Amino acid sequence: MILIGENIHILSKVVSVSIKEKKAKPLQELVVRQAEAGVDYIDLNVGPARKDPEVMKWLVEITQEVTDLPLSLDTTNPKAMEAGLAVCKVRPLINSASGKEESRQEMLPLAAKYNCDVIVSVLTDKGIPSDTDSRAEAIMDTIAYANDIGIPNESIWVDPIMFPLCVDQVQIAELLEFIKLLPDIAPGVKSSLGLSNLSNGVPHHLRPILNQIYLVMLQRYNLYSSIVDSFDNTLINLVKGRLPETVNLIYRAMDEDVDLSALSQEERDIVKTVNVLTGKTLFSNSWLEI
Amino acid sequence: MKFNDFLDTYKGDIKEVIIGKEGKSVVIGGENTLPFHYFEGSIPHKPLLALEVWDTIPANWPQHLLSSYDDVIQCPVAWAKKCLNNYKADLVSLYLSSADEEGANPTIIAENVKKIADALPVPLVVYGLGDKDRDVPVLKEVARVCAGEGMLLGPVLKDNYEEIGKAALDYGHSVIAQTPIDINLSKELNVKLSKFFPRERIVIDPLSSALGYGLDYSFSIMERVKQVGVIHADELMKMPIIGNVGRDSWKTKEAKESKEQGIMWESITALTLALAGANLIILSHPESMHLVRKTIG
Repeated sequence: MILIGENIHILSKVVSVSIKEKKAKPLQELVVRQAEAGVDYIDLNVGPARKDPEVMKWLVEITQEVTDLPLSLDTTNPKAMEAGLAVCKVRPLINSASGKEESRQEMLPLAAKYNCDVIVSVLTDKGIPSDTDSRAEAIMDTIAYANDIGIPNESIWVDPIMFPLCVDQVQIAELLEFIKLLPDIAPGVKSSLGLSNLSNGVPHHLRPILNQIYLVMLQRYNLYSSIVDSFDNTLINLVKGRLPETVNLIYRAMDEDVDLSALSQEERDIVKTVNVLTGKTLFSNSWLEI
Repeated sequence: MKFNDFLDTYKGDIKEVIIGKEGKSVVIGGENTLPFHYFEGSIPHKPLLALEVWDTIPANWPQHLLSSYDDVIQCPVAWAKKCLNNYKADLVSLYLSSADEEGANPTIIAENVKKIADALPVPLVVYGLGDKDRDVPVLKEVARVCAGEGMLLGPVLKDNYEEIGKAALDYGHSVIAQTPIDINLSKELNVKLSKFFPRERIVIDPLSSALGYGLDYSFSIMERVKQVGVIHADELMKMPIIGNVGRDSWKTKEAKESKEQGIMWESITALTLALAGANLIILSHPESMHLVRKTIG
């Protein structure tokens, strides 16, 4: 699975201050540490960058000084996006476009112009679709439009948009189905997901286990890429195949009712978490205590 | 194809909660099927309908609601008796509106509750203000003074379930576990509460809202709570559900506008929640209660 490191994000204090003051060093350190952690892309999130679209150009340049990894340019501002795309040395990823009219007019054409990959979300002017069918319907329409303006399926990374678990547990299991379905409805397209949103609203110390296990489940359904916390070691080890026993237990819990009594505490937590993510048990913040 | 081919059986059954004490008790819950699915399973106890009595004179009630209680509004005991004797309510739910007054004295409030409880042939449901801080001393004291009455007491919230729950446990009452229209939080509170409190003495209040003011959300949450209990047999969601309908319905401008509209507003809110799975419904206007009773049989 392609991992996109999310740690250069405007919502991080260090990042926002460094970008504002054009201090390259803390940002470059973050880039290097993420590369060392083993991610495949570095995401550069500058927010809407309304006042200074050129900030993306600067950020791409200082990032390229310390890494050869491809970059995922993360802004809703097409001007900032283009300023960054113009200076990328390796084929970058646009993060992201959608089916909304303004995105069709201003963001998607950049993917054609710069011949790069683009994350396309299921969002449209009608809002965020809430079930598998409406996700499929929304994305097919946007993909058809993208094809028309010269973007091949192979350059499109579909983002199904995930709500936090504590907002809508049912769609978490449905997303697995959507990811499974995607190659059939749009052959050649890739997929991508912002993983951390899964555990938004969950107590901080309980977030990693949810993220880790869900990513393994998605990987089983051939999710192509995910935006992740580069510093979650266990997560990276799991998807890189370094923890096969854990992966096997997750698969087993997806397929059958696993008897908890024969398991260690850690294994029980894994099974309980799978059961929450498949919708088998109703989620609450105390899901590991039951 | 036979008729039975279309029927489902479910693996979960809702717990029976006994409200009251020996010789003076009612049971809610106990069904092993979805609301009104009499054809699929057993529903041993019909939804109960309670009328709400306040322990102060309601300040913002319209005349067309007050007029049902004109002669008894000064005296909660007489008011409660009228609900039972004249209007044939199954139960009375006492709203401790006096706790909202400046300098409210928990002991005086609790002794008044005891007086009302003693005067009635049925057990009492008692609702505090729903304020996480101010309810604590009052409901603790009510639990103590009314020890052994087996009342249904609440609401207990995520911030005060330990203190109020402990008192209800010590003095033999059941509790109403209330969370703000969120099923995950509802389960969370049940998980925490049931670490020290018996599950068969918990009633879920998913916090219902009136028609036009979020009833659709209330319906979805309540329906899902019931489904998770009955269909998925989730041990922590098998408690019966209470729908506190009257107070919110009569806050709406629509209900205040006219008697007919108010009764429709309250009745439709109550019926909707009955369909979603409420096992005990609290109303304010006796005519709404009659309409609901007539409709659900």
